[in-house]
Amino acid sequence: MVVAGIVMLVVWTLAGLLAPVIAPVDPLQQDVMRRLEPPSNVHYFGTDELGRDILSRVLYGTRITIPAGLLVIVIGCTLGLFMGAIAGFVGGIWDEVIMRLSELFMAFPTIILALAVTAALGPDLKNAVIALVIVWWPSYARLIRGLVMEVKTREFVEGARSIGASSPYILFRTVLPNCISSAIVLATLDIGNAILSIAGLSFLGLGPDPTSPEWGRMVSIGIDFFDQWWMWLFPGLAIATVVLAFNFIGDGLRDVLDPRMKH
Amino acid sequence: MFFVLKTMAFHLYFIRRLLFVIPTLFGITLAAFVIANAIPADPITANLPQSALNNQEIVDAFRERWGLDEPAHTQYLTYLKNLLRGDLGVSIKTKRPVADDIRQFLPATIELATAGIISGILIGVSVGIVAAVWRNSLADYVARVFALVGVSFPVFLLALALLQLFYVEFGLTSGPGRLDVRMAKPVARTGLFTIDALLSGDWDTFRNAVSHLILPGLVLGIYVSGIIARITRSSMLEVLGMDYIRTARGKGLRERAVITRHALSNASIPIVTVIGLSYGSLLSGAVLTESIFAWPGIGRYMFRAATSQDFPAIMGVSILIAFIYVGVNFVVDILYYFLDPRIRNP
Repeated sequence: MVVAGIVMLVVWTLAGLLAPVIAPVDPLQQDVMRRLEPPSNVHYFGTDELGRDILSRVLYGTRITIPAGLLVIVIGCTLGLFMGAIAGFVGGIWDEVIMRLSELFMAFPTIILALAVTAALGPDLKNAVIALVIVWWPSYARLIRGLVMEVKTREFVEGARSIGASSPYILFRTVLPNCISSAIVLATLDIGNAILSIAGLSFLGLGPDPTSPEWGRMVSIGIDFFDQWWMWLFPGLAIATVVLAFNFIGDGLRDVLDPRMKH
Repeated sequence: MFFVLKTMAFHLYFIRRLLFVIPTLFGITLAAFVIANAIPADPITANLPQSALNNQEIVDAFRERWGLDEPAHTQYLTYLKNLLRGDLGVSIKTKRPVADDIRQFLPATIELATAGIISGILIGVSVGIVAAVWRNSLADYVARVFALVGVSFPVFLLALALLQLFYVEFGLTSGPGRLDVRMAKPVARTGLFTIDALLSGDWDTFRNAVSHLILPGLVLGIYVSGIIARITRSSMLEVLGMDYIRTARGKGLRERAVITRHALSNASIPIVTVIGLSYGSLLSGAVLTESIFAWPGIGRYMFRAATSQDFPAIMGVSILIAFIYVGVNFVVDILYYFLDPRIRNP
């Protein structure tokens, strides 16, 4: 399954990188004479309500949805890492403040928070990413805090301190490297979720503007042309296969690093 | 005497649980309030038409009407005071008490979430059992891929595909909405159309409501079945390796009895936990599913509240969802009590 995941991911990555070369036409180019055409030899995935080529749009969409999902994880994870490291390593009042703050965000229903933030900042891909980062960082902060608190009592940390290493040195050179692998597993398992959330927000109209070939947005426009199934099926399948690829990889990674789940 | 002691212990447990609810709910209201105030949103521009925005008098009146001219801490204290009397405030968007709105939208969500969790249990538990019993077989492999596909498919794609297939192509089920347009709503007793129709003996309406529930219920069911299947598989595998299973087999019990009575009932605690959490998440409003199936539930209400910066409604729904989670966890704890004799007689 991991192999299947990697293959799917490589195919999608190539599709995204080579989109300008392999896409039949410009994803924004309209051709009103050929609107709502079903899949054919000319337009393999059919055309949409403005006569744009859906295959080209799906290919270009790779460059929007996947990076946005990855960005949520990278920023959310980095922010969580930073906050969790301070909370766990410095402790005291900083720990209290950061933990209470994370509880505050976690107690609030995820979807309302994301909806409220995107609605407040305005519908835009950047704001959708910000909204999801706000939702995402607390779980990483809590994970890292726990790990940091455990690692910092180990002997090699005491050793580093006894030879006069500074606190930042200890944190960045000895403690954090020992926490990072768990965070990476959690992050890998989460990428699929992040992409689904981006597509979901964008589906609800809280993502990039309607002309952009973002997959979730394409599906939601496709609903208005429900009988023209190719309008929503292909971008939908694109999301599904990308998320599946990440989940296959994440699942395999967990099996390797957490043998208890393997049986 | 023993019984009295036990019910007393149960009462104490119950009261302690209730006390725990208070800080949680307090935290939720505070979180909702802080976040609602921190985001740079303006309920005035979100709710007044452009023409009214130019009129300072209207803007001032709006601000005063909704208490937006008070300092934040006064607003919060007023909110808490009203909350203690069961008053959730008035929605800026619908102009109706939030409590009334919730009473109107919640039954639709309860009905849908229940249909969803039932199909999720049917699919997830059976897939999980099959995967565990025939471990490492083709069936196990297929079940595992199914579980991953279930969590990877965007809900909206699943919803659209099922609609296209079962409603448009084959006409086997009904489409979006809770009832056909030609149907009259059943007399409201519970707000759940299926139950209300049954109570008034109206079979046509009942059949129609059920046929509208099938597709969205199935979508949510598939969505939660992935995680249910995964937990069922792993906890069944753990139990199937136990000595008492070997004993049960050794004394010549049929395999079916071994699996259902001996293994499944001992593996049920984690399964029940994950079912409870899934039910909680379905009850707190499936925004995407509800919007595709034009389902007038909490998810739709929440979406409208969030997009129009309707703070009273946002806070009302947040408190409702906190209540739902606390309630579901409570029921799960009570179920433990019945499922596991070790909890009953420590």
